[in-house]
Amino acid sequence: MEEKHLTVSQINAYINKKMKFDVNLKNIYVKGEISNYKTYSSGHSYFTLKDKKSQISGVMFKYNKRSLKFEPKDGMKVIIKGKIEVYEKDGKYQLYATRITEDGIGELHIAFEQLKKKLKKEGLFDDVHKKQIPAFPRKIGVVTASTGAAIKDIITTIKRRYPYCEILVFSTLVQGDQAAPQIIRQIRHAQEYDLDTLIVGRGGGSIEDLWPFNEESVAREIYACKIPIISAVGHEIDYTISDFVADLRAPTPTAAAELAVPELKEIKNTIKQIDEKLIKTMENRIAHNKNRLDYIAKKQIFKNPESIYEIKEMHLDNLINKIEFTSKNIITKNKNQLQQLKNSFILKNPNEIIKRKKESYYRNIDKLEVLNPLLTLKRGYSIAEKDGEIISSVDDVKVGDEVKIKLDDGTINTKVI
Amino acid sequence: MEKLSFEESIEQLEDIVNKLENGDVPLDEAIDEFEKAMELVKVCNEKLNNAEESIAKIVKDNDKLIEFNINE
Repeated sequence: MEEKHLTVSQINAYINKKMKFDVNLKNIYVKGEISNYKTYSSGHSYFTLKDKKSQISGVMFKYNKRSLKFEPKDGMKVIIKGKIEVYEKDGKYQLYATRITEDGIGELHIAFEQLKKKLKKEGLFDDVHKKQIPAFPRKIGVVTASTGAAIKDIITTIKRRYPYCEILVFSTLVQGDQAAPQIIRQIRHAQEYDLDTLIVGRGGGSIEDLWPFNEESVAREIYACKIPIISAVGHEIDYTISDFVADLRAPTPTAAAELAVPELKEIKNTIKQIDEKLIKTMENRIAHNKNRLDYIAKKQIFKNPESIYEIKEMHLDNLINKIEFTSKNIITKNKNQLQQLKNSFILKNPNEIIKRKKESYYRNIDKLEVLNPLLTLKRGYSIAEKDGEIISSVDDVKVGDEVKIKLDDGTINTKVI
Repeated sequence: MEKLSFEESIEQLEDIVNKLENGDVPLDEAIDEFEKAMELVKVCNEKLNNAEESIAKIVKDNDKLIEFNINE
C-alpha cells in the first residue's frame, strides 16, 4: 500500500503556520551571547545567539537596526526582543530581532551616555579647562590600587624613562561601591602634597569594574582638582567619564607614565643640542665681529697714524699762509695810501694854500670897500642922527631936537630951529 | 640659578638661544647671556647626572610615607 506523503514545502509551511499561531513565540525576549555576527550588503544582519548548551540563528532586518545604539559584536552578551518564525526555504526556525540591548550593563550604558551628555553640556570637558601637564615633573602622585598591576606598570615606566622624580602612591579601591568615595578622598589628599602631576586610574576590567571612574562625583572631583590629572583607566578601548574630564587621557597606565615624564635620553639630547647651538651662534657672532675689526684695522689711518697729524698740520700751514698773505696785503695797501697822501701836491706845497687864501682875502676886502658908507662921507655927504638913529625924513624931527651931523672928519652938533 | 626648576632652566636656555640667534642683542649683552646659558647647561647636566633613582612611596592616611616595593 502506498503511503500518503507530503512535500517538503508542505511540511515546512505547516510548521510555520503552527508556530505563527503560538502567541508564546510572538513577543519574546531571549538572552544569550552573539557570535558569527555579519552584516550583508542588503543591510540586514545575521548572527547566532548562544548559551552554554545551545544556539539559535537570528536575523535583524535593516529597518529594525535604526534603533541600535551600538554595533553588536561577537562575544557580546545581549537580550534580544523579537519573535520566532520559520524560514521555510531552509526549513529552519530563527529569531527575528526587533531590538538588541546589552545584557546587564544596559542600564549602566544609558547612565554613562546621560552623564557624558550632561557634563559635556556643563562644559566640564572643554579644552579651556585642560591644564598643561608639566614637562619636567619632580613629584608625581598616583591614585590607584597599591596592589594592582597598574601601579607597577606606572612605577616601572617612570623609573625606566626618568630617574628624576618622586612617586607618591595614594592607594584606593578601584572597583565596587566603596571605590568612588575613596578615589575622591585620595584625590583631595594628593592635593595636600606639592605634586606636579597626578595620575588617576586602574588596569583593565569589565565595564562594571571600571564603573567608579564613570561616577559623577569622581568626575567632578577630577574637574575640581588643582593638580593636572592624567586619567588612565583600563585598556585602549575603554573610555570613561574620568577620561573626558581629566586634563589628559592616557589609553593605559603605562601610557600615562610615558605622558607624565619625558625620557631622560631625550632631555640630554635636547640640552646637548641647545649647547651646540649656543656655541655655534656665539662663534659665528665672534667671527663676524672679528672680521669687522680686521677690516677696520686694515684702514690706512691705522697703518699710518701720523697721517692724522699730517692732515691737521697741512691745514694749519694753509691757515698761516692765508693769514700772512692777508695781513701783508693790508699793510701794503695802507702803506700805498699813506704814500699817495705824502705824494699829494697839497702836502708838498703848504705855501700855495696860504697864497690862495690871501688872494681870496684881498678880493673880499675890496668888495667890502665898495660897500663902506664912510667912503660916501669922504665924497662930501653927511649923515644926520637923532638919539643914535639915522634921520631919513623931516618928519623924524621937530623944533628944538638936537641933531648930530656926521661928516668924514667929525661930527657937528645942531639944533632944529 | 640653582634654585630654578629644571623646566625653568630649559625654558631660559631656549629663550637665550632664540635671542642670540636673532642677533639683535648687543655683543656685550650677548656675551653675558652666553655665559649665563653655559652656566644653565652646566646646572641642567649636573641635575640630570646627579639625579637619584626615582623613589616610589605610599602615602598613608596619616601622611606617613612607606617605601613602595614593586616586587611585593
